Amino acid sequence: MAGIDVAKSRRNQRINTAVIVVILCSVSIAVLWPIVHVIAAAFTPGRSIASMPVVPFSQGFTLDHFHHLFTSTNYLVWFRNTFVIATATTAGTLVLASLGAYVFSRFTFTFKKSFMMSMLVLNVFPSFVGMVAIFVILLRIGGLDTLWGLVLVYLAGNLPFTTWMVKSYMDNVPRELDEAARIDGATSFRIWARIVVPVCKPILVFLGVTSFVMPWMDFIFPRMVLRSPQNQTIALGLFSFVTDRNNFFTYFAAGSILVAIPFIMFFVLTQKMLVSSLAGAAVKG
Amino acid sequence: MSTLVAARLGGSAVSPPPAREQLVDPRRVRTLSLLFMGLAHVTVLRERVKGIAFMLVELVFLVTLPTTVRLIGGLVTLGEAQPHLPIRERPNSLFMMIDGVMVLTVVAIFAAAYAISVKSASKAAREINTRGFPSEKHKRFSAVADRAFPIIGLTPTFILIAFFVVVPLVFSALVAFTNYAAPANIPPANTVDWVGFDNFVRLFGGDNLWGGAVARVFVWTLVWAFLATATTYVGGMLMAVVLKNSKLRITPLFRAIFILPYAIPGVVSLLVWRNMLNGAFGTFNRTLAALGITDAAIPWLTDPNLARFTMVMINLWVGFPYFMLLVTGTMTSIPAETIEAAKVDGASDWQVFRRIQLPQIVFQTMPLVIMSFAHNINNFGAVFFLTGGGPNLPDTTTTSAGATDLMVSWIFNLTVNLQQYHNASVLAIMIFLVIAPFAIYNFRRTKSFKEGEL
Repeated sequence: MAGIDVAKSRRNQRINTAVIVVILCSVSIAVLWPIVHVIAAAFTPGRSIASMPVVPFSQGFTLDHFHHLFTSTNYLVWFRNTFVIATATTAGTLVLASLGAYVFSRFTFTFKKSFMMSMLVLNVFPSFVGMVAIFVILLRIGGLDTLWGLVLVYLAGNLPFTTWMVKSYMDNVPRELDEAARIDGATSFRIWARIVVPVCKPILVFLGVTSFVMPWMDFIFPRMVLRSPQNQTIALGLFSFVTDRNNFFTYFAAGSILVAIPFIMFFVLTQKMLVSSLAGAAVKG
Repeated sequence: MSTLVAARLGGSAVSPPPAREQLVDPRRVRTLSLLFMGLAHVTVLRERVKGIAFMLVELVFLVTLPTTVRLIGGLVTLGEAQPHLPIRERPNSLFMMIDGVMVLTVVAIFAAAYAISVKSASKAAREINTRGFPSEKHKRFSAVADRAFPIIGLTPTFILIAFFVVVPLVFSALVAFTNYAAPANIPPANTVDWVGFDNFVRLFGGDNLWGGAVARVFVWTLVWAFLATATTYVGGMLMAVVLKNSKLRITPLFRAIFILPYAIPGVVSLLVWRNMLNGAFGTFNRTLAALGITDAAIPWLTDPNLARFTMVMINLWVGFPYFMLLVTGTMTSIPAETIEAAKVDGASDWQVFRRIQLPQIVFQTMPLVIMSFAHNINNFGAVFFLTGGGPNLPDTTTTSAGATDLMVSWIFNLTVNLQQYHNASVLAIMIFLVIAPFAIYNFRRTKSFKEGEL
């Protein structure tokens, strides 16, 4: 009797494993299929999606598209612009959010509650609802068609949420830590720079990554703010390759690979950290 | 803690107070501070630096008062149409509106500063009467500057949010009550006028074409948000559980593969899919034909209902890794002993999942699921890059709302292509009313709220 049970459970186990393998493989195919085609397109002669072979890599190999990107398009300029915007946005967000969060977490002052409350409410609005007004305000202060104008827009959009996030984190940091420094005579600024920022490093790293990633994918604000060709970003540039009028899918593929690879490497390498920070966000309030 | 803060913010106890004697008269302080910002600080409270700063604020406000009044007047009238003037000299209603809103913001900030100055004066008066005047050390510029740290630290954030978030939002809410739209009311050639609730009336029933489009897009937005969230959540959870239970040696490889869609910028993956799924020459249909599965081209993105289905499916492709990572993280936080105990008691894998893991996962991830629902209501990229809002429907020529358009992408079309700013604003207000409850929910579960700090 027992022997049959063991045999049965072993067979069950094997069926289980087989089912799991089938599921994993079919999902992998679904995930990889477009990615493989894009990689293939980047190295395949021809231009539009219509000329792409059904079987990837079956129509020869060329590096022309990358060559074209660097010599005949503004790809490097787009890349530099996006990088500048992302870096400035990240730096600004980290400094202002940690400063603001420190003030909110440790000081009491008039209108504190109403200010915090309105920051939460502001989060609700889709950010580009105020597009027209932002356009006019930038026009007035000379920020239209400049990278810093776009950085200001991103910064303002980031701050309500990020300040709240750092504040909730900081509330869990013992106050004795900075009060001890205060008794020793440290100024508020010094406490912020030397104690608060180092202690809040985990959340600041997380915010740094998210605010650096955001400008690479955003489309609406660059399209509204940046007009001249030398001020475009990667997203605008890639989009211009595959509009309805001109379909240069191979250039698009080559350009996409160059942006996506650093991202992919980063995400795959940090997946452990991702898992824990996402789970942390779920559990924490 | 509280005494420390009070001591820091309000000057500190140095000399013991003279017995029961009032050093300053609180009523006099109150009157002086109400009379002119900072007056009480400079005269009786001996806080010269602070007082002069306050006085400067009021002086600047008084000097600019005529401009302020003129700009607010502009907001009220929005300018008279003056067709005889060359376009460049005509009154620009758009600028008048935005300037008006900005000036109102400045006035509000000034009012807040006034309230703060009065409060701080009364507080200082109380402090002085209980503890005597603060020592010279605390009145030095550096000490005052350190006490002003909250103001200095928050000012950049405050200004940015005020002018790049609040002003634009107030402006766009106001536009819903004007006739700011092409072709008749686009500044600088023409002026814009206040029209009250006309736009709301037209969009919610007055006009069948527009009313129908609003209802259709609104319903699709909600259906989409539900389907998009549900599919990615279930799909992500499924993959997390399968990966967790598989004892294969190459499981980490699969996990790395499944993260790929999360790691690829959305612009890229959605534009790739758009090209792959092109009905006529897309790789997907040609692959199906080569495999002999279909003869005719399948209109993935050009048949209204099929396009909606495709959109949900591609969103599943893009979105399941997020929930997979999330659920994986949540599952690792469930104590292993609980699961061991259940297994010892004879529970099957399925029972363990159903009775122990699932409730935990759902409980812990629900807030983020709700946020994801709110995010999907505003998921501009999923529409814009994949379908561009298309395919067209009968009313699309007038309303510009395609079959897969969500409220957000419709607002974008109305603003950028049709210049129907007034209608776009009404829709934005609608979105706000839908999403606000989610924000409130999210707010109520924050720690500060629960601990009664707010």
